[in-house]
Amino acid sequence: MLKKMAFSFPDEVLEHVFSFIQSDKDRNAVSMVCKSWYEIERWCRRKVFVGNCYAVSPRMVIRRFPEFRSIELKGKPHFADFNLVPDGWGGYVFPWIAEMAGAYPWLEEIRLKRMVVTDESLELIAKSFKNFKVLVLSSCEGFSTDGLAAIAASCKNLKELDLRDCEVDDLSAHWLSHFPETYTSLVSLNISCLGSDEASFSALERLVRRCTNLKTLRLNRAVPLDKIANILRHAPQLVEFGTGTYTADVRPDVYSDLAGVFSSCKELKSLSGFWDVIPDYLPAIYPVCSKLTSLNLSYATIQSPDLIKLVSHCPNLQRLLVLDYIEDSGLEVLASSCKDLQELRVFPSDPFGAEPNVSLTEQGLVAVSLGCPKLQSVLYFCRRMSNEALVTIARSRPNFTRFRLCIIEPKTADYLTLEPLDVGFGAIVQYCKDLRRLSLSGLLTDRVFEYIGTYAKKLEMLSVAFAGDSDLGLHHVLSGCESLRKLEIRDCPFGDKALLANAAKLETMRSLWMSSCAVSFAACKLLGQKMPRLNVEVIDERGPPDSRPENCPVDKLYIYRSIAGPRFDMPPFVWTMDEDSGLRLS
Amino acid sequence: MCMELQLGLALPGSDTWSRPLLKLGLYEDINVNRKKRGFDHGYLEDEFSAASFKNYEKGLVGWPPVETWRRKKLRCQVHNHMTAAENGYCGGRASNSSYVKVKMEGVVIARKIDISIHQSFETLTTTIMTMFDIFSHFPFIFGSVEENRRSFKLTYQDKEGDWLIAEDVPWRTFVRSLKCLKLIRSRG
Repeated sequence: MLKKMAFSFPDEVLEHVFSFIQSDKDRNAVSMVCKSWYEIERWCRRKVFVGNCYAVSPRMVIRRFPEFRSIELKGKPHFADFNLVPDGWGGYVFPWIAEMAGAYPWLEEIRLKRMVVTDESLELIAKSFKNFKVLVLSSCEGFSTDGLAAIAASCKNLKELDLRDCEVDDLSAHWLSHFPETYTSLVSLNISCLGSDEASFSALERLVRRCTNLKTLRLNRAVPLDKIANILRHAPQLVEFGTGTYTADVRPDVYSDLAGVFSSCKELKSLSGFWDVIPDYLPAIYPVCSKLTSLNLSYATIQSPDLIKLVSHCPNLQRLLVLDYIEDSGLEVLASSCKDLQELRVFPSDPFGAEPNVSLTEQGLVAVSLGCPKLQSVLYFCRRMSNEALVTIARSRPNFTRFRLCIIEPKTADYLTLEPLDVGFGAIVQYCKDLRRLSLSGLLTDRVFEYIGTYAKKLEMLSVAFAGDSDLGLHHVLSGCESLRKLEIRDCPFGDKALLANAAKLETMRSLWMSSCAVSFAACKLLGQKMPRLNVEVIDERGPPDSRPENCPVDKLYIYRSIAGPRFDMPPFVWTMDEDSGLRLS
Repeated sequence: MCMELQLGLALPGSDTWSRPLLKLGLYEDINVNRKKRGFDHGYLEDEFSAASFKNYEKGLVGWPPVETWRRKKLRCQVHNHMTAAENGYCGGRASNSSYVKVKMEGVVIARKIDISIHQSFETLTTTIMTMFDIFSHFPFIFGSVEENRRSFKLTYQDKEGDWLIAEDVPWRTFVRSLKCLKLIRSRG
C-alpha cells in the first residue's frame, strides 16, 4: 500500500521536497534511495561540491547534474599550504571552466580552494557567465590583477569577490577602476592578500560609496590607517571589516576621526587585518568591541597587556585568532571574559626560534578549555605539553570537534614526566566523541594510534608528523577509524605492510598523503595495479622511482580515489602507478 | 656569556593512565618491524629517520606547519619592527633581533623581551617585573608599588661582557650596547 503511494508522487512534489535539502551529504544519500530519486535529485541539484578535482572529470559532473548554478572545487592536498607539494603539481581549474563555459551559461558561483587559476580562466569566466555572482578563491595562485580587471569589467551582477590567502601577481592596483560606475551590486570584497605598494584609493572609495549593500570589506596592507576613516564613513552598514595597515604617527585628529567612524558602524561583528599595529590606535575600536563575534589578530604583533585590554572589551566573542603574544595570562583573561568562545587559534610569533620568546604554555589552553563551555575548535602552537594537561582538557571539554595541537619541536615528550603524549591524546579521542578533525604532535608511539583507532569513530581528518614506531600505528588508524576521509602523514616510520593490508580502506577515503615515510616503490606499484579506482601518485624530485631499487622508499605519495582514471596533466616529477604498466610517465 | 639552565628539569611525575586501554592480538599476528623506542631518548637513530632528519640542521621543510602566506606576512612585519627600532624609537641594536634575554635573580628560567617596543627604563622595568610575577609573588612589605619597584634593580650585560646598572646610562646608549638583562634585588 505504502509502496504504491511512493510511486504515485509526481516528480515535481519530490523535487519540491528535495529543494529543502541543501547539504551534499544528504543530497548524496537521497540520490541512492532508488533510481527514480537519483534521477529527480540530479536534475534539481543546484550546488555541486567536488572535494578533489581529480576524483571526477568536468564532463562527468556536467553529465550527471545538468542544471547546477554553483560549484566548489578543491585541488592540491592540504600539505601544499606548508610547501610540501612542489610547484607545478597540478590543480588547474582551466579545464573545468572551459567545459562549463559551453554547458552552463547560467552558472552563478565558483568557489575554489588550492587551485591554479590563470588570467585566462578568469577572462573566460568573465566572458561566459552572464549572471555570474560569486567568486571565492581560497589559497589559489597563478593569476594577476589583469584577470581581476576582466572580472570587474564584465560581471555586472557580481556580488562576492573573495580572494583569501591567494598569491596574486600584483601588476597594477588600477584593476579596481574596471568596475563600471554603474556597478553597485557588490556585497562582499576581500582583497587582503594583495600586495601593491600603491593602491587605487579613490577607485576603492568610489566603489564603496556606490555599493550600498556592501556587508564585507577586507582591505589589504597598502591601505593606510588614515584612509580607513574615509572608507568606513561611506559604509556604516558593514558587518565584516578588515583593516589595512594599522599604524601611523600618533595624531589626535587621526585618532578621533577613526574612533568616530567606528562608533557609527553599528552592525560590525567581525574585524581582521591589523598589520603593523601601534597600540595607541587600538582603543579606537572599543566602541564596536561589545558586538564583535569574530576577531582576527593573527598578524597583530602587540604584546599581552594590550591584547588583554582588547579582549576584555569583547564579551560576545565567538572566534579569536591571535599570536602567542597573548601568553597564558591573556588566555586566562579570555577564559573569564568570553564565555561564548567557540573557536580559538593561537599562532607562533617566532616559529623558528630555538627558545620560547613568550610565556605561552599548555596552561593557556587548559585555562580556555576549563573556562569556555562552548569551545569546540582549537588550533594551538606551543612549546611544551603534558599528558596531565591534555587529560584535563579532554575531560573538561568533551564537545571538541576540531583539535589541532602543534608542539613546535618535533618529538617533544611530556615535560613533567618525560613520557610520550600517547595517554593525553588518547584522552582527547576518548572523551571528545564528536571529534572530526585531529592534528597530533609531540613524542608519540604506536599506542596513540591504538587509542585513535579504538575511540575516534567520527574522525574525518587526521594529521600526523614525526610519530609512531611501526606499521602497526598506521594499521590501527586505517582499520579503526570508520569515518576517516583524509589522512596526511609526514616523517613517520610507516611502510608497506599497513598500507597493503588496508588497501580497500583507501577507496572509502578521499585521499592519503604520506611523505618522508617508509613506503617502497614496489608497494606503490602493487597498490596501483590492484586498485583500479585509486590513483596512486608518487612525487619524487630525485628522479624516476625505477632508477632506484624497488624497495627504496618513495619521497612523497598521494593516493586518492577517482572515477576519472589517472590524470594526464602531471609534471615530470609525478608518476602514476596504474594497472597497465605499473609505471607511466606524464 | 649569559647562562641559562635547560627547561628539561622534570618534577617527579605521577603515573597517570599507564594501563593500556585495549589489548590487541594484532601485536603477535602482524610480524612488523617493531623496534622498541627508548623513551628516555627524545630522538631515535633509525635509518629512515636519519634520512628524514637530513634537513634538520637546515630547518625542516614545512615545519612547524604555519601556512607560507602567513609566514611571509609575519616576517614582513617583524622586519618593520626592526626598522622602527633602528630609525628612532630605541636608537638601533647590535644584532638583528630586538629580543633580549632577561633573567631574574633566584629564578631558574630565563625569559625574553622585545626591547624595540620600549622607550624608557620605567616601562621596561615594570614589564620585566610583571613578567616575573613580582607583584603577586613578593608581598608588599613597604607599602606602595613604586617603593616596591625601587627594591629591585635592573642590570645589563654589554657587548664587552661587563655587567652594569641600566639606569646609570642614557636610554639610547643602553639599548645600543645591551646584550642581556638581569633583575636583581637592591641591596641598601
